[in-house]
Parts: sequence; C-alpha cells; structure tokens
Amino acid sequence: MAGFQSKQETIISAGIDIGTSTTKIIISRFSLMNTAGSTHVPRIEIVDKDILYRSPIFRTPLKDTLTIDTAGVEAIIRSEYEAAGVQSADIETGAVIITGETATKQNAREMVHHLSGEAGDFLVATAGPDLEGIIAAKGSGAYAYSVQTGKVTANIDIGGGTANIAVFKREKLLGTCTMHIGGRLIEFSEGAVQSISAPVRALLHQQGWTLKTGDAAAHPDIENVTSFMAESLARILAKKASPADAPLLLGHEPNWDGVVEVIMFSGGISECMYAQEAPAVTDISYSDIGIKLADALQENKALTDWAWIEPDETVRATVLGAGTQTTEISGATIQVASGELPVKNVPVYKFSFKEGLEEGYSRFEQSVKEAIDIYDSFQEGQNFVLYVADLPYMGFKDIQRLAQEITSVMELRHDPDQPMILVVQTDHAKVLGQTLHAMAARQSIICIDQINVDHGDYMDIGRALQSEVVPVVVKTLTFHSS
Amino acid sequence: MDEQLIQTITKLVVEKLQTSENETKQEVPVTLYSREAKGVLTETSEEHKAAGEVTFHQTADQKPPGKKRQRLEPSPERTQEEELVTDLQAKTPARIAVGRAGSRPKTNTWLQFRLDHAAAVDAVYGEVPDELMNKLDLFQVSTRVKDKEEYIRRPDLGRKLSDEGKELIKKRCQSSPAVQIVVSNGLSAKAIEENAEDVYLSLVQSLNNGKVETGTSFYVDKGRVALMDEIGEILQPDVVILLIGERPGLVSAESLSAYLCYKPRIGTIEADRMVVSNIHKGGIPPVEAGAYLGTLIQKILKYEASGVSLVKREG
Repeated sequence: MAGFQSKQETIISAGIDIGTSTTKIIISRFSLMNTAGSTHVPRIEIVDKDILYRSPIFRTPLKDTLTIDTAGVEAIIRSEYEAAGVQSADIETGAVIITGETATKQNAREMVHHLSGEAGDFLVATAGPDLEGIIAAKGSGAYAYSVQTGKVTANIDIGGGTANIAVFKREKLLGTCTMHIGGRLIEFSEGAVQSISAPVRALLHQQGWTLKTGDAAAHPDIENVTSFMAESLARILAKKASPADAPLLLGHEPNWDGVVEVIMFSGGISECMYAQEAPAVTDISYSDIGIKLADALQENKALTDWAWIEPDETVRATVLGAGTQTTEISGATIQVASGELPVKNVPVYKFSFKEGLEEGYSRFEQSVKEAIDIYDSFQEGQNFVLYVADLPYMGFKDIQRLAQEITSVMELRHDPDQPMILVVQTDHAKVLGQTLHAMAARQSIICIDQINVDHGDYMDIGRALQSEVVPVVVKTLTFHSS
Repeated sequence: MDEQLIQTITKLVVEKLQTSENETKQEVPVTLYSREAKGVLTETSEEHKAAGEVTFHQTADQKPPGKKRQRLEPSPERTQEEELVTDLQAKTPARIAVGRAGSRPKTNTWLQFRLDHAAAVDAVYGEVPDELMNKLDLFQVSTRVKDKEEYIRRPDLGRKLSDEGKELIKKRCQSSPAVQIVVSNGLSAKAIEENAEDVYLSLVQSLNNGKVETGTSFYVDKGRVALMDEIGEILQPDVVILLIGERPGLVSAESLSAYLCYKPRIGTIEADRMVVSNIHKGGIPPVEAGAYLGTLIQKILKYEASGVSLVKREG
C-alpha cells in the first residue's frame, strides 16, 4: 500500500538570533504533508518540526557597543553549519533576527548584505521590538501555554538590552510592550562600573541617584536601579504606568485589553532564574547587572502576585521562535513565476473589498496610488505586495474584472515592469493568476493565498517547493486582528 | 442480482410481514419503569365542598401581561466554556453543541434540519435551467433513464447513453481531443446551477493557458460517473473530465464533483478514476477549483495516468 501514503517533503530551516549580548543558532527540519483528504484539493501544512542542532551560546561579536562585527558573526555561522553538518545551500527557510539594542538599521543592512550569500538562501528578518516579543513568546512556550489553557499569558523576554513583552490569549495576540530592562544596561569591569546605558542614565537623573562610571560594583544605587526596573515592569504588566516609568519605556505604552493572568520569563535573565542550560554552555562571565536584575525580579512583591510559569526555553526562546515559528506555508493552489523567487523584504499594502466590489473599484486606483507614494516615495521602483482582502463570493466574471483592474493599477508603479506580487486572503490565487496570464499581462505574476498578513507587514517569499507551495516569512510590525 | 430474484425476495418479505401482523401478538414484557411507587408518598384528604360548586382551573400557563419574553443578551464577558463552544462550532459545519429540549432537539435546530433535508430532496428532483446550457454553449443528450424514479432505482441505466445520444455526440463532437469536458446533473441539479458556469469557464481558461486542446463539451441529463467510460469509447479522448452534481447532504445540497480519468474505456477500473469533490460556496470556490483542475489535467496528460496509477507514476 506504499503508493497510497501521502508524500512527505522536508525543508531545513535556520534560526539565527543576534542579540545585544549573545548569538545563537538553531537548525530544524520541517516536514510538509498534504493534510486534505484524497478527494479534496491539496492543503499542504507543516506537520512536524524536528530540531536538528542547537549551537552553544556565543558572545555577540561587536566592533563597538552598537556595531555588530559582521565578519565575526559570519565565522560563527560557518563553523556552526559545519558542526551541524549542513551546507548553506540546504537551508530553504528561516530567519536571522537582530534583536535588542543592536537591532539598528545599519547593522541590519550590513547583515542582510553579507549573509544572503554566506548563510544560505533564506529569509532575513530584522525584527522590530514588537516582533521580537512575539517570536520569543512562541519560542518560550508562553504562546502554546495560552492556547492550551485559554489564560491571558504575558511572555517577558529579557536579554541584554531590552525586555519584550507579548501578551496572548489563546491564538490571539492581545498586545506588546518593550522596555529598557536588561542585563547589559550597566556593565562592570574589575569591580567597578564601566558603562551605564543612556536609558539608565536618564533614570538616575530622574530619581536623583548619583551612580556614575568608576563607582564600585557594590554601589547601593545599583540595587535601586534593579528594584526600580522590577517595580516598573510590574506596573506596566498591570497597565498602571506612571510618568516615572517613562525613561524605561521603549516605544508605545502597553496596548492590550484584558488582565494578564499568567507571566513567563524568557531570555538571558530567565536563564539566571531557572538555570536550565548545562553549566558549560552558560559559563560566560557577563560582568553586568544580569544576575542582580534576576534577583530583583524574583523578590519583587507585585510581580509575585501573578502566577509564574517556567518557560520551555530560557535564553534560546527567541532563536527557537525564529527558527521554527516564523515560516508559513502558502495555499496549495497558487500561481508563481518561479524565476522571480525568492523576493525579500517587500512591504504589504492591504486593500479591502469589505464595502462590495463596485465600491472597492471606485477607490482602487486612488488607494494604490497612495501605496506607491508611501512605499516608493523616492520613485526608485520599490515594489510592494498588494494584499486583496475581504472579497465577497466571486464568480468567474468577477475574477476577470478584478484581474483587469489589477493590471491597470499595476501600470501606475514607477517601474511597472516589476513582477506583480499579489496575496489573496481567500482561496482565489490560482484562478486570479491564471486569469492575469490569460489576459497576457506583460509582468510576471506571483499570486499566492491563505497567508496571514496585514497592512504594513513586510514579507519574504521563498522559492517554490516540490509540493508547489511557497514558504513565506511575514514580519509583523502591526498587530493582526485575529 | 437479477431482477427476478429481487422480486421474489421482496414478495417473501412482504408476505411474512403480513402474516405476522395477523397473528395474535404476544406481548413481551418490557420494563421501562418500575411499577412500584418510589419516594415518599403523602395522602391528601379530599376537601369536601358543597355539591355542585363550580371551580375554575387554569388550563394554560399564562404569561404575566405586558411583559415580553426576555431575550438573553450575550454578556460582554463571555465565559471560557462559551468561547470554547464558539471555537469548536467554527471548526465544523456539523450541528454540534446545539442544545436540546428534554430528549429532543430544540425547535430551531429541528426546523433547520427539516429545511436542509428538503433542500437536499429538491436538489435531486430539480432540473438544470436551459439558459445555463445555452450560456455555456452545451448541447444536451440523455442516458437510458426515463425519469427520476428510474434514475434512482437503476444506476446501471444512468451509465449508458441513449441511442440518440450516442448518435448525437458522434455527429457533433470532435473526435479524439486531448480533453473532453462533460457536464451532468447527477444527483444535484442545484450543484450544476450554482457552480458549473464558474468551474467550466475557469477550467477552459486554464486549459487554454496551458495550450491543451479541448473537444466539444456537452451536457448529459441524469448521468452517472461511469458514463465517462462509454463516452471515452465513442470519442476516444485522452482525458475525460465529468462535472457532476454530488449526492446532496445536510451540510450542502449544491456540492459539485469533478471526476477525471485518463483514457476511460469500457471496463476501466475505479482505481484509475480520480475525483475533486466539495466544490461549492462553502467548500473550494468554484473558480479556484476550475483553475486547479486545469493544472491537474496537465499533470494527467504528462504522466499519461490517473487515479492510483498517477500516484504511483509520480513516485
């Protein structure tokens, strides 16, 4: 009966997390299978994820406090691929995530430029703080815990530079928040304070504390700072931020509805709490406030009021999330011009037909013009993904009309010869792609469906796999409604 | 089984039933409930009243006047159980967690069930409007079936074309095309009415894109799936695709299936047929199904096999 078994296809995914203090790599293997019945149109899903290799935890090679030594990172990646027994050509998906304070545009650009050739044909993501929190929550087990129990769960991933909070209730992301709380914000050298980061300096100034570089590592203000961080975190989680918390807040205030029921800590600071890793792996002396911060969090009264759940992964939560949770698989009936793939870092413009087709068409051209102005403001020909959402029930004639409208608005682009990249929310990608083809659209067409994206997301679309689907990494900058 | 035998058996069964009815029925003791009184029994003494006194009883529950039946507004804070139920319901079109009234379904559930059942019956007995055939430029032939009753009773007759039908397709259809498209109402005329146009147009476009030659499409009234064998024999196409109404169910009465077969001929085994089912509004969208079927046909042509043989050849 061997002929009747569904075929499995596997792809290798790499996750690389380059943080403020540490860098780690994870290699995993996804199994893809057709999960639809034999009489149905195929539906390809990731049915299994095996972790093939976990790297040791490396110090992030830095040129100065904020600039990543790209060559150093490359050397690490190369040696780890060798240790894992994979070739860069084997890697078909995954993400490099630059997190924390090193997540600057300049570092990201350098890294994207260098790694695309060296690390394999995969999808490079520079996460914003919100996405970091989400990825960590998926890697730590907080997301799975919330799905399982239905409890409002906050994952707090604290590394060297930032604390990324993501709050989930079942599958739904309720909100995020990022704070300047991390182990490396004050560093010591030979028993004395060597450096104090800008947000902490602002905090010291605000509180009238006098700590400065050169002071003894046992200075009482250090404990003041760590306890203040713990208190501040407790206030943020309870959504009772006070003006005093402003220096520690990075970006927006907490934006979730509902009350956090359960908290989970991941990241390097969490490792100081739970010590899950074998000692050999973490036996790096950090000489910063990490351990003191972990103690302060554990002793804080307000925080102990929540139920604490131990994470599945501490320091590796983000890399695990990056390696195993960022890839989505498109619908099985799609139309892609294989020569144009992969495409990387394309912004998504959402156009909704919620008000009906006619109403939609009347605004279509104007909206797409706006999209072009936003994403291609320098008229360099930056392409974008047109995400067609909320289509009503479509007959064949409706599809033809839609294809016509799309062909004409695509001509408005500054470089209209670029491929048309379309994502359809509903299961219509193949027919739309074929209709565009039948109309002899001169551009090549990448038309996929059943991917969860939203306005303002960035997308990477990988090469088509054997099962005729494409892996997609969506970099969420805003929140999904569902 | 031949018809003679069926008739003999039916007669036997009916006779048996009739004689058993005439026999005096022996009562089998069934204890549904205990005949003994249970619990605390208190005897109330009857009140003696003047003879002839008339008392009024309320025979129906009266609602207090002016008070409308209160509807349960969904509270803003839903309980976890309610959320779970909604989550589960969203995952299936089956009638789950619909509640009950005593041992019976609630009135609304019951009415919905009756409605869906009626729609299923209508789908079987309905007719495909002529306009649709004209619009798609399909001519019509019939099978050896005389009427719907016979169609249901005699699947074998639905698998053969009428003599006029055979003549007509021989005359009007292109011989040995790469792909022969056939449409038939099958067990749901509604399925054809709702979906055939979108599937057909999208399929034709997809085949044209792939530069696959299609023959002269036609419509068969009251056809069965294996009809494609005879059509294959007469017209000698490489692939036959039959768009046919599925047996209606209670979830959808308008679901369409596409049966495909590489070189179907008389004697083709079922394992060489393949099907893409569940084509309707609530399943795979008809337009997308057509596009997918087009590429599937190209695959069949490439591997020169369908069904299980195709799976084997693909490796």
